[in-house]
Amino acid sequence: MNFDPIMGRMTHRFAPVLLLVSLASGPVTALEGGCVLWISDTSPMRAEGAPARRGGGMGGMPMGGGMHSGPPMKRLWLLSGTDPQKAAFARGDADASVETLLVTPSKPEGESVPPPGEGHRGLVFEMPAQGFYRVYVTTRTLQERMLNLNVAKAEVGNFGHDGDEEEHDRAMTAPRALENAAIEIVRERQPKEGPFSQVRSGTEQSFIVLRKGLPVPDARVRFVSHQGWSKEVTSDGQGRARFQVVRDYFPPWGEFQKRFKATYLVIAEFDATEAGNHKDQPYTSVRYQATLSGSYYPSPEDYRSYAWGLGVGLLAALLSGVATYLYRRRRLRPFQEVRLDEKA
Amino acid sequence: MKRLKDAIDGVDLNRFRIWFQLAMFVLLVYGGYLAINLGNHLPMFACGFNQEGRGGICYLMPLQHQLARPWPQLFGMASLGVLTGFGIFWLWFIFLNKGWCGYVCPLGTIQDWITALRRRLGVRYARYTQDQFRHLSRVKYVLLALMILIPLGIGGGWFSRDMGTPFCLICPARMVLPLFTGDLSHLTVDFSSKTAVAMTVLGMLITGLFLTGAFVKKRFFCFFCPMSALHYLISRPALLKLRKDGDKCTRCGDCYRACDMEIKAIADDVKNADIMADDCILCLKCVAACPEPGALKATFATITIFESTEAGFIKRCQKGIGLDQPKR
Repeated sequence: MNFDPIMGRMTHRFAPVLLLVSLASGPVTALEGGCVLWISDTSPMRAEGAPARRGGGMGGMPMGGGMHSGPPMKRLWLLSGTDPQKAAFARGDADASVETLLVTPSKPEGESVPPPGEGHRGLVFEMPAQGFYRVYVTTRTLQERMLNLNVAKAEVGNFGHDGDEEEHDRAMTAPRALENAAIEIVRERQPKEGPFSQVRSGTEQSFIVLRKGLPVPDARVRFVSHQGWSKEVTSDGQGRARFQVVRDYFPPWGEFQKRFKATYLVIAEFDATEAGNHKDQPYTSVRYQATLSGSYYPSPEDYRSYAWGLGVGLLAALLSGVATYLYRRRRLRPFQEVRLDEKA
Repeated sequence: MKRLKDAIDGVDLNRFRIWFQLAMFVLLVYGGYLAINLGNHLPMFACGFNQEGRGGICYLMPLQHQLARPWPQLFGMASLGVLTGFGIFWLWFIFLNKGWCGYVCPLGTIQDWITALRRRLGVRYARYTQDQFRHLSRVKYVLLALMILIPLGIGGGWFSRDMGTPFCLICPARMVLPLFTGDLSHLTVDFSSKTAVAMTVLGMLITGLFLTGAFVKKRFFCFFCPMSALHYLISRPALLKLRKDGDKCTRCGDCYRACDMEIKAIADDVKNADIMADDCILCLKCVAACPEPGALKATFATITIFESTEAGFIKRCQKGIGLDQPKR
């Protein structure tokens, strides 16, 4: 038995083996870009990469505060496309069935919420308690005899600096995956990660692909950076895929913002031979697709110089030391012998 | 009871202080490794930038963060958070008054270590003239005012957010204390914006001056410390007090010579019973150096806990009462 930090419970070592039985491995093909649905907390209409205002940020602080009274609110957007900067609002599909689930600290099993639709493109929800909130938008569409099953997921943190430590600890150890999710991606936390930690460019980040809470080996996992750079790998036996969060923010020096909020998108996909019916139409295979987006920020090491820092510090110490020494030297009075004429 | 009191009054204060300061330094700089967290409202420089080992956080850091909130928030519900934070800080403070500076502050302890090094090297220390003293002692109030006004200006959109916590950016504790846990990342100049360059260069300049200043002048930085100014402004109801009985004072000046902060009023003022000046760090070296029984005393909630006695003075004289006597 092992403690699983993702599911927040003890698990058997052989759990992934069980999954292998249930999945039929399909040929590894390139991910298709056009119909990828994902959730972002940045509207496509908002200025590109503007620094997160207080309250912005996936996994960061909630929006709200200011003149808003009541619990903090969060608005998320369902987008379509594989380029974080070029993605557009997802269009409604009459043939698709959409389910939206909101997992809150008080309802870890989740509750259904109205899906984004005509007249309200955003998903808006309240965050009354401190902790992580997860949204799953599951879309099913039938394409010939293949069922496309897409689970777009977002994880949002609601924490205040005045919150108590126990609440933070509880949030950090709470389960992060749903046991009944058809497929989902979980971002693995960095060592010593806390509720206010941010993903920084340059760090290695791993993601785990899960199906019904169990790791999915051999899934095609693709990481897309803010500027559209992408890399595709296959998940290992533990369902894990590792990526380096590349630094892709190189503005002119005068325009650099160290709080620049960039968005990454992770897409995981695999095919399974499963037969069933969807809206009374039979299918013989299922294409599972999961998406997860998040934010990352410039590395704190960017634009920092040890040479200049130490140079300035040492120069100040040296100059002030020399100045003190010279000042003291100047105040020294040379010895002068005074002879008294005793005869006078 | 009398034997206990005699033992306390005759204590080797310097030795006691060295060990107490060392214990507090370990607690506040390495306490985080033992999961110790005293909160983020501490009334001295337990630096929050010492992320790995800190056992608590200096209150000035969250205060600046809070004051830099957008005005609608700051003057709305968030003001309750500011007031609550200040209340917790005040509760911590009233216990030790400025004793936090003399006995607990890690940056103060480092300055005492640098002073000890200078003494061992036989280099004489510097003193201010009374004119310099008078003018320089105002600097900390200017820094305190700027430390409050700049974050308010950030919240109002007048200053860049890169100024963040302006005093922390120039405070030598940010550069020096993380070094003790192997974090060198603050010994840098941040070129990410013009404001960041200016603030980090200023921070490194002050750190250089701090090292030299602390070497030639006892408690060099405490003279300019805005926390010290804030302490003094709220010190009236504090429990730990330094008191003087002017009738018993002979104005020998031993207390002034022992004072690291060069507070002359401690020797000259024979009228006021509450003798603590704004630069005082309540190290109580003046009480230990006083030969007149009951002339100087430290009280906690009006109960005398340590007072000058002839016997204690003689006992300490035999060990050296802490007057700095350079070799040459």
